[in-house]
Amino acid sequence: MNAIKIDGITKRFGTKTAVNKLSLEIEQGELFSLLGVNGAGKTTLIKMLTCLLKPSEGNASILGKSVVSQSGEVKSVINLSTQETAVAPNLTVRENLMMIAGIYGMDKETAKSRTAEMIEKLSFGEYENQRAKTLSGGWQRKLSIAMALITQPKVLFLDEPTLGLDVLARRELWELVRSLKGKMTIILTTHYMEEAESLSDRIGVMINSNLITVGSPEELMKNTNTKSIEDAFVKIAGGDRNEN
Amino acid sequence: MRIKAFASRNIKELIRDPLSYIFCLGFPLVMLVVMTVIGQSIPDEAQMTVFSVQNQSAGTAVFGLAFVMLFSALLISKDRASALLSRLFASPMKSVDFILGYTLPLVIIAVAQLAVNFASSLVIGAATGESFDILNMLLSMLVHITTIFLFIGFGIIFGSLFNEKSSPGISSIIVSLAPILGGVWMPIDTMGGVILDVAKVFPFYHAVKASRTVLAGSTDGVLQSVMYLSAWAAVIFAISIFVFKAKMRSEKK
Repeated sequence: MNAIKIDGITKRFGTKTAVNKLSLEIEQGELFSLLGVNGAGKTTLIKMLTCLLKPSEGNASILGKSVVSQSGEVKSVINLSTQETAVAPNLTVRENLMMIAGIYGMDKETAKSRTAEMIEKLSFGEYENQRAKTLSGGWQRKLSIAMALITQPKVLFLDEPTLGLDVLARRELWELVRSLKGKMTIILTTHYMEEAESLSDRIGVMINSNLITVGSPEELMKNTNTKSIEDAFVKIAGGDRNEN
Repeated sequence: MRIKAFASRNIKELIRDPLSYIFCLGFPLVMLVVMTVIGQSIPDEAQMTVFSVQNQSAGTAVFGLAFVMLFSALLISKDRASALLSRLFASPMKSVDFILGYTLPLVIIAVAQLAVNFASSLVIGAATGESFDILNMLLSMLVHITTIFLFIGFGIIFGSLFNEKSSPGISSIIVSLAPILGGVWMPIDTMGGVILDVAKVFPFYHAVKASRTVLAGSTDGVLQSVMYLSAWAAVIFAISIFVFKAKMRSEKK
């Protein structure tokens, strides 16, 4: 069954089209990555799918619920980690997690046990009573993702989750994302080709507001006769910079 | 549950900001002490009753609540600039959850501020030989429930419309105007003329006047003042709900 069905979705800001008649189906449990240069329309698409922006045309459904007419139902089964770290700076790690649990309607006992679970799973033990603003960038980003995971969403949107992280923190987050594969549907946007190659079941490439191609990492490399997703992306994007 | 979770976050954000204590409590109390000292320096023959501890405590209550407006505006405008609000907009929270989640903590802080203001006035009054009736003080706090909603309403409007840099500046205009038009530090009733006519249009004069009258143990004109103040508070708070909801909708376009 499809977790996400996108049907000709379009977003215009004035005369500029940010996402152009995009159609796509993503299966439950799939990890789907969206690649594209800056301004390709990835974040706008994520915003429409998470009900943060209304489409100018077209529609999309999450687990059969329309993002346009059933946003309340959609919001209760999704969660997202935005490009920027989205934490309450003056709240501790534990308080941030408890806040999100409460906002998603969990009773106190469930919220406490889920918070304890996230703290253990993501190794927050040492920092659980530390205010979010005093954490390093990597730990803040990890907390932001934990705040998305605590609600056990059926569909998780990760918008450039490893942006600005050092290589060790990035690898750690990859492991976390990998551990979630199959348990929920994950939509990931990233600029790191290695990240997409390593984690994704399928990859979609967006260029100039359009979804140009979709396929597994192997299919994309085979179709472009390249040996890495980075080379495949460069070829698809129309600027084969392979020096060979 | 959603409102409780969000309100709990907001109250923690407010009470963990040291500026809240400086501006919401420290500054109004300093003004209360300074104005009382000025009042003590004025000869009795001048009959400048505006500087009595009783009158000043009613005025400082309104002046202090204006800072609650400033912090409402700052909290909301800061949230709007952060990714946290995007996350919350994508959650099952509805606009009523946001509005109550912002308002309830601010009401709690405002009531605490009023309590500290009147408790300090008791102490200062004891030092200067002025006594207060506790029941009148409680009634005066009750009068200010409408003042609280008036200022929180202004705060939500400014926080929704302006960014975190300009919303404190815009709020400062009201912070400055409220004590002037309220006659907190000048005998506006005695002055009369245009300034009194203008002051009577705005709610601050009525908030200070009703509070002072009740503190003095009278009820003369209190009902009219409270009705006028309530009408202002209801309109401003209704506008704040409209503006906040409109802003939420416009950010989705």
